[in-house]
Amino acid sequence: MVLWAEVLTSIVKFLIFPGIVFSFVVGLFFEGIDRKISAHMQHRIGPPIWQPFLDVGKLFTKEDITPSNAEGWLFNFAPYLGFGAIITVMLMLPVYAAQPAFSAAADLIVIIYLLNIPALAIMLAGVSSSSSFGTVGTERYVVQLFAFELPFIIASLTVAAQANWTLSLEGIVAYQQANGWLLWELPLAAAAILLVAPGKLLKTPFDIPEAETEIVYGPLTEYSGPKLAVFNVMENIKILAVAGFITALFLGGPTAHVIAGVQIPAIVDFLIKTIAILILITLIRTVTARLRIHQALKFYWGFVAIIALINLVYVMVI
Amino acid sequence: MSFVVPVGPQHPALEEPEHFRFTVEGEEIVDVDFRLGYMHRGIEKAFEEKSFPRALYLAERICGICSGIHSIACVEAVEELAGVEAPRRARFLRTVLAELERVHSHLLWAGIAAHEIGFMTLFHLTWRDREHVLDVLEMLTGNRVNYAANKIGGVRFDVEPKHLGKISNVLDDLEEDALRYMDVFTSDRTITARCEGEGVLSKGEALRLATVGPTARASGVDEDMRRDDPFAAYGEIDVDVKTAEGGDVLANAEVRLSEILESINILRNAVEQLPEGPLSVDAPKKIPEGQATNRVEAPRGELLYHFKSDGGEKPSRGKVRTPTMANIPAIIEKLKGETIAEIPIVVASIDPCFCCTERVQIVDKNTGKTQTLTKKELREMREE
Repeated sequence: MVLWAEVLTSIVKFLIFPGIVFSFVVGLFFEGIDRKISAHMQHRIGPPIWQPFLDVGKLFTKEDITPSNAEGWLFNFAPYLGFGAIITVMLMLPVYAAQPAFSAAADLIVIIYLLNIPALAIMLAGVSSSSSFGTVGTERYVVQLFAFELPFIIASLTVAAQANWTLSLEGIVAYQQANGWLLWELPLAAAAILLVAPGKLLKTPFDIPEAETEIVYGPLTEYSGPKLAVFNVMENIKILAVAGFITALFLGGPTAHVIAGVQIPAIVDFLIKTIAILILITLIRTVTARLRIHQALKFYWGFVAIIALINLVYVMVI
Repeated sequence: MSFVVPVGPQHPALEEPEHFRFTVEGEEIVDVDFRLGYMHRGIEKAFEEKSFPRALYLAERICGICSGIHSIACVEAVEELAGVEAPRRARFLRTVLAELERVHSHLLWAGIAAHEIGFMTLFHLTWRDREHVLDVLEMLTGNRVNYAANKIGGVRFDVEPKHLGKISNVLDDLEEDALRYMDVFTSDRTITARCEGEGVLSKGEALRLATVGPTARASGVDEDMRRDDPFAAYGEIDVDVKTAEGGDVLANAEVRLSEILESINILRNAVEQLPEGPLSVDAPKKIPEGQATNRVEAPRGELLYHFKSDGGEKPSRGKVRTPTMANIPAIIEKLKGETIAEIPIVVASIDPCFCCTERVQIVDKNTGKTQTLTKKELREMREE
């Protein structure tokens, strides 16, 4: 009986909370919030925040097209590869408590790698679509991936080093509950990872791989209908996942509060923190122009990686 | 390995259908080829089918942005042929129209330039401010795009005392806006990173390729038809021609934004000095035989109209040369050695208006090769 209950809980976790249904709904609302806030900053009214649901719903009703020049199976497989990886990340993040839905021996390393699989899926999509825009977009994405991954890993390792070399997110969240947010202890690493976020999520000024006016939609130019919808959902869940990851590393993870005698569940705390990170990303994307790919590389290696490294050395020496 | 990146006929960076083929190695452009002809409307031929007043309506519809200056260029060429001169007040009002249009066209350009480098906020804000100019144009002429403000022998709208308050308010706001955008364009780190030193056109090349308008002035060529060959009332109003050094995208932005400020000055002077008098004089229906050429300064540069009459009610030939036509060779020069990332902003830096410039091109449908016709072949085609 106990085994059955465990299997059932796992299925619920995977399908509903914090798996597919929860990530889907919150991810799309995140895009809606992003669009609404940037619209107000730009002196527009903007779409209602449930607009992404209508967009995705419409895409699912469209015809499923595979271009005749494309490498068929890879082209069709890529969206699901990325979607699966990002759902796995959501299951491994502390969302409703310090304890994630599923955990592995070294969560941190696994999540760092899993967060790159959506990027790889987009690159596979770009190459397999046999379009020159896709090829150029993929070339740019490869460069950008190497650019932001270096500071991202250094900043994550700094956190692990500070939390007595634990590689589990649960341990990092527990350390913060005992000693306060790591944002205050590791300000440079936190700044580095917040600057990496727009690059990882392909938001201006780092939307270089899918620069609309230059290469149409980069690797996803040839996609339409349901497969594009899956990619869209994947990118929106990625916002939630990256924001959740930063929350766990620097903002103390999901914490339950009691305010004026009312019990506030940890999930509310988690959503507030992730939305704050989302708003920061939206702010950056609203006040900048798109950079060129070598400028992005220079920025990430020449500035962001250096400040992250300074913090890592500081933590390890002192 | 080099491969071809096609830009257009449908592409998010282009407002109009135009086809560029960039041969690239990695990101670097090694060759550019482009193809015209998607929007050829046969307007020069259509001129010959219309009476002179109707040709004016047609001229106004060549461009959707600088429609006012097209009609001024056309009407002044026809007036020269007919031997009538518009009253002084009408000429001042034409100046007002031309300058309002320059302001809205340059604001529109600033927005498009921001869009091309992915700065959507600046795009939305400049276009928001541009609306105020369109409001003034609507208040004065009744229309926002094709103003129908000119007629042979004068104008069909007037600046009345009740309009003055609104005009001066809008001009004050615009001056503030233009100064702010000037500051943003020259100081924002991401904009300068994208625009500085890109798409350079040296002064020598600008002269050799006979570029016109703000594109030439951004390379340091000091020419402006408002001062060098005055039309409308520019002979009586001082025009301070703005130039910049460098010829890159940033210089283009500086020239255009400082021209907005200069236009605001001209508008203030023109409205202040607005003489009393009639708005139009009668013009003959039949235009005497002869030819007339008129050059004006459109927002994008020198615009040339040439009309020929054989003494009837219809022109026997009408010829238009739009500024983009003169500036297209500059695009190729500017794009040499640039990367794919630079294509949209460098193409946009000449403020192209392809639909005004459209020409027939003979293309082999199967191979995609273009062909040049000699004068002899053209003659043979006409005789067939």
